[in-house]
Amino acid sequence: MSHFIDRLTFFRRVEGEFADGHGVTTNEDRRWEDGYRKRWQHDKIVRSTHGANCTGSCSWKIYVKGGIVTWETQQTDYPRTRPELPNHEPRGCSRGASYSWYLYSGNRVKHPLVRAHLVRLWREARKSKKPVAAWASIVEDAAKRKSYTTKRGLGGFVRASWDEVTEIIAAANAYTAKTYGPDRVTGFSPIPAMSMVSYAAGARYLSLLGGVCMSFYDWYCDLPPASPMTWGEQTDVPESADWYNSSFIILWGSNVPQTRTPDAHFYTEARYRGAKSVVICPDYSEASKFADLWLSVKQGTDSALAMAMGHVILKEFHVDRQVPYFVDYIRRYSDMPMLVRLVAKDGYLIPERFVRASDFAGALGETNNPDWKPVAFDEASGDVVVPRGSVGFRWGEKGKWNLEEKESTGNEATLQLSLAGGELVDIGFPYFGNVEHDHFTGTDHPSVLTRKVPTRRMRLKDGEAVVATVYDLFLANYGVDRGFGGEHLPRSYDEVAPYSPAWAEAITGVKRDQIVAVAREFARNAEKTGGRSMIIIGAAMNHWYHMDMNYRGVINMLVMCGCVGQSGGGWSHYVGQEKLRPQTGWLPLAFGLDWSRPPRQQNSTSFFYAHSDQWRYESLDVSEILSPTAPEGSWSGSLIDYNVRAERMGWLPSAPQLETNPLTIAAAAEAKGQDAKDYVAEGLKSGALKLSCNDPDAPQNWPRNLFVWRSNLLGSSGKGHEYFLKHLLGTSHGVLGKDLGEDGRQKSEEVVWHDEAPQGKLDLLVTLDFRMSTTCVYSDIVLPTATWYEKNDLNTSDMHPFIHPLTAAVDPVWEARSDWEIYKAIARKFSEIAPEVLGVEKDVVMTPILHDTPAEIAQAFEVEDWARGDVDPIPGKTMPQVTVVERDYPNLYKRFTSLGPLMAKIGNGGKGIAWNTEDEVDLLKRLNGVVTDDGPTQGLARIDSDVDATEVILSLAPETNGEVAVKAWEALSSATGRDHAHLALPKEDEKIRFRDVVAQPRKIISSPTWSGLESEKVCYNAGYTNVHELIPWRTLTGRQQLYQDHMWMRAFGEGFCVYRPPIDTKTVKPVIDREPNGNKPVVLNFITPHQKWGIHSTYTDNLLMLTLSRGGPIVWISEADAAKGGIVDNDWIEAFNANGALVARAVVSQRVKEGMCMMYHAQEKIANVPGSEQTGQRGGIHNSVTRTVLKPTHMIGGYVHQSYGFNYYGTVGSNRDEFVIVRKVAKVDWLDEPVEQSSTSDGASNLEAAE
Amino acid sequence: MAKTFKALSALLSYPDEALKAAAEDLRAAVRQEGLVSGASCAALDPLLADLEGEDLISLQERYVDLFDRTRSLSLHLFEHVHGESRDRGQAMIDLATLYETHGLVVDATELPDYLPLFLEFLSTRPLGEACELLGQTAHILAAISDRLAKRQSPYAAVFDALVVLSAIKPDREQVAALLDQPDAAPDDFAALDAAWEDEPVTFGPGADSGCKDNLIARLRAARRPTPTAMPE
Repeated sequence: MSHFIDRLTFFRRVEGEFADGHGVTTNEDRRWEDGYRKRWQHDKIVRSTHGANCTGSCSWKIYVKGGIVTWETQQTDYPRTRPELPNHEPRGCSRGASYSWYLYSGNRVKHPLVRAHLVRLWREARKSKKPVAAWASIVEDAAKRKSYTTKRGLGGFVRASWDEVTEIIAAANAYTAKTYGPDRVTGFSPIPAMSMVSYAAGARYLSLLGGVCMSFYDWYCDLPPASPMTWGEQTDVPESADWYNSSFIILWGSNVPQTRTPDAHFYTEARYRGAKSVVICPDYSEASKFADLWLSVKQGTDSALAMAMGHVILKEFHVDRQVPYFVDYIRRYSDMPMLVRLVAKDGYLIPERFVRASDFAGALGETNNPDWKPVAFDEASGDVVVPRGSVGFRWGEKGKWNLEEKESTGNEATLQLSLAGGELVDIGFPYFGNVEHDHFTGTDHPSVLTRKVPTRRMRLKDGEAVVATVYDLFLANYGVDRGFGGEHLPRSYDEVAPYSPAWAEAITGVKRDQIVAVAREFARNAEKTGGRSMIIIGAAMNHWYHMDMNYRGVINMLVMCGCVGQSGGGWSHYVGQEKLRPQTGWLPLAFGLDWSRPPRQQNSTSFFYAHSDQWRYESLDVSEILSPTAPEGSWSGSLIDYNVRAERMGWLPSAPQLETNPLTIAAAAEAKGQDAKDYVAEGLKSGALKLSCNDPDAPQNWPRNLFVWRSNLLGSSGKGHEYFLKHLLGTSHGVLGKDLGEDGRQKSEEVVWHDEAPQGKLDLLVTLDFRMSTTCVYSDIVLPTATWYEKNDLNTSDMHPFIHPLTAAVDPVWEARSDWEIYKAIARKFSEIAPEVLGVEKDVVMTPILHDTPAEIAQAFEVEDWARGDVDPIPGKTMPQVTVVERDYPNLYKRFTSLGPLMAKIGNGGKGIAWNTEDEVDLLKRLNGVVTDDGPTQGLARIDSDVDATEVILSLAPETNGEVAVKAWEALSSATGRDHAHLALPKEDEKIRFRDVVAQPRKIISSPTWSGLESEKVCYNAGYTNVHELIPWRTLTGRQQLYQDHMWMRAFGEGFCVYRPPIDTKTVKPVIDREPNGNKPVVLNFITPHQKWGIHSTYTDNLLMLTLSRGGPIVWISEADAAKGGIVDNDWIEAFNANGALVARAVVSQRVKEGMCMMYHAQEKIANVPGSEQTGQRGGIHNSVTRTVLKPTHMIGGYVHQSYGFNYYGTVGSNRDEFVIVRKVAKVDWLDEPVEQSSTSDGASNLEAAE
Repeated sequence: MAKTFKALSALLSYPDEALKAAAEDLRAAVRQEGLVSGASCAALDPLLADLEGEDLISLQERYVDLFDRTRSLSLHLFEHVHGESRDRGQAMIDLATLYETHGLVVDATELPDYLPLFLEFLSTRPLGEACELLGQTAHILAAISDRLAKRQSPYAAVFDALVVLSAIKPDREQVAALLDQPDAAPDDFAALDAAWEDEPVTFGPGADSGCKDNLIARLRAARRPTPTAMPE
């Protein structure tokens, strides 16, 4: 019988196992699958990003269901790259992917909070007084003021209504402006590129008020001053896609796979393509694992390594054999051919300043700015020529500011690099490698090395001079033996003399043959590829006191090999700058330039150094860093004295500016029938007016109000954390050391010393945040702000060329509002209450001499200080510029919410280029609508919502409006005399709007604001247009400047790059025997790299991320050091020095180099931090053991590239030269009793931990 | 429809003048209904007395310190159930849906799992159902009560009253799991060290229950079948 009828034709029975037993059939309940189905059910997907301070700038999909954010995944719709280049995505990392929990987290700030002690006083005062009078009655009563300032950080908040908190803030601001001056109202917010409208909200409010916006880039110590020094550019770098074009990549102090996660794939892909990679860093980092060769350099000695590599490159590729590409490159694109005057000192000559056209009789025919035109020899004729492109051509004339190989007259000129054959003379070069340091090895070579350099004598108008080229001096400085002779000139790589590989081995611990191999391969690759050797450099290198030496050492290598400005080559510093691509569109919005110019902008490092009184504890004497070759003159004084001198000479900004309220000065000048400029100059000279910087501790000079938004100033970036707490906030603190007064050490020459230092300079600290950060905990008022999924904003980066948005996926939860709406509300309230004390006022604003303005060519030769009688105070020339600005306080809100008339009247621009902007203003009127209300803003374009604000940025910026790009390139063309508009013409009609970037990230349009191009042919690479369009760098010489001839640069021995060991901060010895606990102390170098589980795209109180590590703060130490201190992994340890103390768990690892410890920065003291045995306070943060130390060379101003610019140049907050005492904790105390009952009640803080 | 729920909801709300003024009414309402036993009812007196007698700003300061600033005392129920897990969003949606099926939508700037809000919802439901729903949170309520008692806070009484009201008694194991947070034993170093010690992660069957790290356990739990948290 057939089985046909029984056989299934269309079915198979489901049973048993399948796939060789790997699969099994069951009948279990499958409802669990609904969990996944529900996850993928959503009402909408919204595009946003994570804007802590992450340069990743990754676009994300935010899933929203029922008005609630459920989760996020990476966007994958970036515009494609070219064929043969990998695409940008996937972008994103675990930090970003864990973000959505923040929205509903228990740590979210849900309501406006105000300190109970303060609000009690306020409500009482408001019963009988108007707002400003009420505020006055509180802060003018010392006891009342102290009742809340001393409670900062000790809990005690209550909720308050938006109406009430904005009124308190507005009253405080109005009172401060009226009583002391608007420049006592300050605000700190970092990294505008991450959420530019949110930044602009606060900056616009402050700028319209006359308040002070504080810089971040220099304060974070992420600004490499070497970049403005060399290129006249803050920081410009290749996008990460350009790594792929490189064939030799050095990662130097950078940890790409850990800290640049979304970009790391380009690094791996480049390696697959065949690029070789060398990683240089002390520890076995994540990046080290990617290396073909890992060089474990002794921390802090990188410049020694760079000098030795430079030595090898110069010897083999410039002297023994001359690579034509390299020679041509340095001739055309560096200052190597320029002539330097040599002057006598102690029996030898030292390099002085560049020879200028004006040094010659008749100024070589130059009538425009001859002081600012360096000269060189023409190779063919042997004559002195004035090459085009120097800064003298940039201002006051048109058409010759370019890098064509021509002299001023238009004749072809091939500049001569070497004067070899000329008279050999002894030149003295400073040597610092012999400076004694307990923890760093040096050599015993003399402090001045004399080396023979070929020179020429020439007749200048003041007599005969001896000159040399930068090229010859540069080679001599590197110790390259060219047969000319000299002291301590290494004859071979194995001779220990500066700066040979053997010498570097002694200092850095890296083997000489490895140094030689890396240098050789780096240069050989550049030779073969036309400059495709790249150095990705990390913050690790920039956080040392002598960071410029590290950076210039590296930059020198790149320039020697012609790598800067070439695809796949160059200097890649991806640290904290986060390129705000539509910068020129954003500036007017952020700083209220549409209403008044100039805004007040302050360099934070000097500000905090003065106002958190860190200067009172200064342990570094100027004599310790002064060069033995310093020019004759007085180099006395302390570091703050140098800063004060810089402020009064117009080099650095001041905040506050004058002891007198700037709102009263214009009237006083008028009464005397004087111009405000003359009045201020005269007043300063006579002493009738005083600069605030001479007495930062006097009450009239305190910064009274501080806003912090988008930042964790106290928990993260505040170097000298404990000094902040003590002096700026006036609350409990952990400063362990004594100030100079208590110790009877040398005090300042310029600054008034008060025996009793002020504690609590701030009347009011306001913080806007969405999480209860360390800064919030210390604030008087905490305002709940929208998270990155609750607001509309823009985001750009230096890592990729796209602009994309933050978009409100949901409305802000609880009572939160976006930063834009918060500042709008404060502005509205301020306008309401201002008439109590303020009307339309004239504000006298002082600004330093600014880079990229015609004023930057201010002080050509000697340093002349009007206060010492060297010269008269002339505003904008020998002292700060003085401008009268009108403030309309009752209409501040109206101004805030409309685009002011100056845009149409004066126009817009940036980096020294200006263009007409009437069309864009008109466009914005049609796009955003116009103000219809009566009043001074009627008929102007509206800027009401955050989206309106984005449209202002996008319409005004060349990067997002092709029409503007063409105008900008044309404006530049008139300066260079070359046609550049072709770079933007194809995109003239392209206008990117907010809704466009919401739909998809958009590639920016090439603009002269930046030095790279974004096209179908090349990736964005810094310096590209300088090399390929012959646009000069914005330096004195117009070239990449490797010799710094400013008098202070020479005084501090950094005319040329040299090796300088870390400084001795002297913070260990005073406290090493303090409070012994029976455990053995170990002294270690304190290093604070970027971590894996926190920044940049989330914070370190994110429990999901903390779970991946130890759940709280950790310090990594080596096995060897752990053994010395009897420490085992996971022990609680304390790290302390004179600056303060912190407590953390030890991670004992082979990864770490002996002699150093690493604490990832920005770990919060609000999560799992016990008390310190040293201070009796809760643990502390990584900055509890640091103190900022200023460097005089960063204060230089009025000198082209070394002129001030906000976040461009200025003092930087270095912190890696610090040492700490690491000791195992004997008794862990969580300090979780209430303050009153605690045994350490002496100010023990009551922050919640361990919750 | 028990007013007691509404009264307890009010007691857990941010103190303001209206709440101070209503303290007597609240006391009366709880007494009158008699759902909360005499002793538990009397235990509410110190809090009510505080509300009536203490200065408002001090009351608010205490409230912010306890409930806004202390994660382990959060009044958002899912903080204790889902914590940082992605399932928190979905859970909130489910809860909001529950309210909606009963004709109520959230009209305050609060999340659906905010305890006072949840209690107000319960006050609109028949008593049996309300006690049943409340019971599902009993272990959280018991844990918070325990922590508040440790702080000698009068707010503990509200949570005790809620535990009394709930139809389901708190599961001891679940309470213990919640209480096994770093909140405990600040002077017991051994326990602290144990709590923070990294433990090797084991995979496969039985890994969840054996895992000491509660957060990891919760994260894993979130990937398992969705528990039917609230009846439809």
